[in-house]
Amino acid sequence: MRLTLRLGTFLLALAGLALAATLAAAPPPIPSPDLSSLEPAVAQQIQERQNALRDLYGRDPDPRELAGAWADLGMHYQAYKLTGPAEESYRKAMALDAKDPRWPHLLGGLLQDAGRLDEAVTAYNRALELAPEDVPALVHLGEIHLLQGRREEGEAALRKALTAVPEDAATNALLGQAAVERGDFREAVDRLEAALRTAPGANRLHYPLSRAYRGLGQAEKATEHLGKVGTVGVRPDDPILDSLESLRTGERARLESGKRAYNAGRLSEAAEEFRAALKARPESVEARINLAAALARQGDTNGAITNLREAVKLAPANPTARYNLGLLLAAGGAIPEAIEHLTAAVAARPQDAEAHRALAQLLRDAGRTEEALKEYAQAIEKAPSDEAARLGRAETLVRTGQYAPARDLLEEDLKALPQSGLLAHGLARLLAACPDLSLRNGSRALELALAVWNAQPIPAYAETVALAWAELGRCDEAARWEQTAIEAAQKAGFPEQALGEMKKVAERFGQGGGCRP
Amino acid sequence: MSAGPQRSPRPQILLLVLVCWLLVSFAYADDLFLDRAADWGLSFSYWNGMTGQYYYPEIIGGGAALFDYDNDGDLDVFLPQGAPLGTGKPTLPPPAQPGGRLFRNDLISKETRKDVPRFVEVTEASGIRSLVYGTGAATGDVDNDGDLDLYVLAFGANQLWRNRGDGTFEDASKAAGVNDPRFSLSASFADLDRDGWLDLYVANYVDFAVEQNLTCYASSSRRDYCGPSAFPSALDRLYRNRGNGTFEDVSLPSGIASKAGRGMGVVAADLDGDGWQDLFVANDGMFNFLWRNLGTRQGGLRFEEIGLPAGVAVNADGETEANMGIAAGDFDADGDDDLFVTHMAGETNTLWVNDGKGSFEDRTNATRLGAPSLPSTGFGTAWIDYDNDGWLDLLAANGAVTEVEERVRAGDAYPYAQTHQLLRNLGLSSDGLRFADVSREAGAPFQQREIGRGAAFGDIDNDGDMDVLIVNTNGPARLLINQAGNRRPWLGLRLMDAKRDLLGARVAVVRKGGPILWRRAATDGSYAAANDPRVLVGLGDAAEVTEIRVVWPDGKTEVFPPAPLRTYTTLIQGTGKPLVQEKKPEKKP
Repeated sequence: MRLTLRLGTFLLALAGLALAATLAAAPPPIPSPDLSSLEPAVAQQIQERQNALRDLYGRDPDPRELAGAWADLGMHYQAYKLTGPAEESYRKAMALDAKDPRWPHLLGGLLQDAGRLDEAVTAYNRALELAPEDVPALVHLGEIHLLQGRREEGEAALRKALTAVPEDAATNALLGQAAVERGDFREAVDRLEAALRTAPGANRLHYPLSRAYRGLGQAEKATEHLGKVGTVGVRPDDPILDSLESLRTGERARLESGKRAYNAGRLSEAAEEFRAALKARPESVEARINLAAALARQGDTNGAITNLREAVKLAPANPTARYNLGLLLAAGGAIPEAIEHLTAAVAARPQDAEAHRALAQLLRDAGRTEEALKEYAQAIEKAPSDEAARLGRAETLVRTGQYAPARDLLEEDLKALPQSGLLAHGLARLLAACPDLSLRNGSRALELALAVWNAQPIPAYAETVALAWAELGRCDEAARWEQTAIEAAQKAGFPEQALGEMKKVAERFGQGGGCRP
Repeated sequence: MSAGPQRSPRPQILLLVLVCWLLVSFAYADDLFLDRAADWGLSFSYWNGMTGQYYYPEIIGGGAALFDYDNDGDLDVFLPQGAPLGTGKPTLPPPAQPGGRLFRNDLISKETRKDVPRFVEVTEASGIRSLVYGTGAATGDVDNDGDLDLYVLAFGANQLWRNRGDGTFEDASKAAGVNDPRFSLSASFADLDRDGWLDLYVANYVDFAVEQNLTCYASSSRRDYCGPSAFPSALDRLYRNRGNGTFEDVSLPSGIASKAGRGMGVVAADLDGDGWQDLFVANDGMFNFLWRNLGTRQGGLRFEEIGLPAGVAVNADGETEANMGIAAGDFDADGDDDLFVTHMAGETNTLWVNDGKGSFEDRTNATRLGAPSLPSTGFGTAWIDYDNDGWLDLLAANGAVTEVEERVRAGDAYPYAQTHQLLRNLGLSSDGLRFADVSREAGAPFQQREIGRGAAFGDIDNDGDMDVLIVNTNGPARLLINQAGNRRPWLGLRLMDAKRDLLGARVAVVRKGGPILWRRAATDGSYAAANDPRVLVGLGDAAEVTEIRVVWPDGKTEVFPPAPLRTYTTLIQGTGKPLVQEKKPEKKP
């Protein structure tokens, strides 16, 4: 009996060893999404990583080497937000090599993105156990704790991170936001100002900064920063997670990355991504248009125009390509060609009010007033609140000497948009200085001009007040207001030539000239 | 083998059956909500008409209305329906009957009083022919004739169905001048100029046309729906009720048309306490709008947009979010309405706390509402005191708008399903107010994965606790019936003038031993939905009500003596006396 048992145990152990050997040689099932629905370049890239892993299993690999291959596959999955397969891959990597801090770090990032914060905390903590110097993990932990409402823990992690990288923008920004939340507005201001010093383009930070200044009772600073609020944020530097971006291939992924970079104001990066998209699919119209936009915003107008011309060649009816090309050409003075492209843009997208307005303006400036008026009418029909289009329409009428219709339309427009300073000012100007003297109405012009000046004291409004006084025969007031306009223009940094012209007008008023007798 | 005599079941089998039964019973007993749609005759699936072309409206709808259209004292249901888009062959079979459907609730009827609601489909008889691509619904008594009218939001021309008061409706869209052709999702009826007539705000979304569809991809590189920024934003509309059956489009002179957004949700509420109802609009991926009502001093309705300085345009980080459904309510019992807005996965839902003067602070993380919402995309939502403990809780109907990888791997044909969420307000503690995600304990309806969109809230079975109607894209509508709320005392109030519900009226329930509970009568809010205008107040452990104070939409305040508990009571402006509303059913001979 005893012998039998010993023999049985021996045989069992032998079988176990054989099984283990077989298992070691044969690759375990590799998690995989349905590759058939992915972009071919992406599917091929993933297939290659899967094959590489399978091949490795056939070569009696070191567990650490295997872990690396699993993590590599996981990273490729994560790069395309294929979360489930990525998680499985990272967990395999961690099981094979429990000492490498990169794998729990990657897993932490994946879980944080998926909103599984408790699990992400566990993963980052594991990464920190293995590599206490992993500052990005500390910042992520801090960020997560703040999201979880565990502010003290969050701030502790972030402060620790800041001792390692004292000027880090993301860490300072997070600490600043935490300080706003607990009402320590002085600290919040210090932290957020520090973050903005490091990352001046992160204009989203002006929002919490504005709240902090408001908390300190500094209303003027609060308003100033509120006016600077934009969409560009700041994210923690994380070489491990940032490297995922470079794994993405194919047109679609590059386009998406490019758009993200563009929206965040990282224009060079955006342009590179769009170029990569073009490389992946040279006939990509979307990549051309986006590359042109990124180039134009960087000041490379010629590069932008070249790409847009290519886009138009590829897709002649693409309204965005036509519209953008039209605007760029117009800015460079190539008006007839610009008109051609904007005409094509409105034909392709008739509901595009902005395109109608842009076309109208070009037609007006080219002296094609009838066509311009038609386009303005279209623009106003599509976007009734477009005060610039309404003003443009009136200006077109004025240019052709149709003063009464211009005045009547402006009156109607102002009824429709009573809060429009632009229209009120346009009407005031016409009533104060219309070449057809019979249409002038100094009192109404003065009323309107004073209202817009009081709402927004800019030089043009003061000049119109002066003209209204002149129309009322009050040259003394006209001179005084022209002087006010000059002072406002000086404050606004107007060039000397413009100031000189204004001074001449003031002098004329001062001498009693230019006023209705 | 021949059959032997029948034997009694073995004791072990009996025991097993008993154990199973007990397990099931306990499971149900513990569920806070049960889905009764099928049991009670509410059979409806929102069909988005998808053809594989990824037309944008497919991922957006639909909504629901809970409204007592026949004035019999119980909530009926209207559900807008999708329609085919483009010329492609639909991937899923279309519904047997096209168009929005009206269901009458026979919980209370002339013939009998039932113990539970029973829904009967009455669309044909009602005269409603809503064959548009329906996205949402809004309700209000636009002609002050004492019955609720129905406004259907659509991708295409919106519709106003005027309630004739005899169980039928007439199409008043064109005659009333409110057939806005843009892509609309939500609307709010509110008396914004305090002239006694309900005005209408329509939140319009984006400028999309089937023939100008775009191709977009998910991060995985698979084809997917575009995001909202792919399309130009649309102008909202404000219609002033002239009081003669027609509306005047005052979008331009009121200032509303000065800013275009991507409106998904809208709520009217006096957020700055100046006596005029303001408008909060949730914009998808853009700054939210807070239209401050400047009153009518300048001759007509005027609004100024103050979302950014007021602190509700973006979250605390200054980040623009995908703002969708709105809940406006006094969750912290300090006498003003706070705002909660649902967002996309990867963003938190956001709670903006009102300081009483219309200035807000984002307190999402401090109240622990942030983390639970990160994995989900929320649409319909409301402040509901589901357990009647006196503290307003939150419910969010969830469903993704970009592919959910897990659902792709599971082989879903339409991989956007997520679970709905219930978040309990834990009340005041030394750490301030906090919420806990109780979805796991809330019952089976919160474990199912669905593509939640509109959610309408109301007491569907009139038993004194808040129920929910959730519309799911390409899936059955759910009637989530509250199983536990009415164990605690409650007060049901209907705030009216002689004829209609006074939407926007605010009521303060003053209690001994508990904070004053402020609630608002409204049908708007949530996402693409119309809610029960009645006010349901859970009293918790402080059930002794000493006074009821109502601030009417015209700014006047009136005090009423305590109303009886555990029943609905009508408070009519100017009477000072509660009127018990509960209808006694006529007995059959």
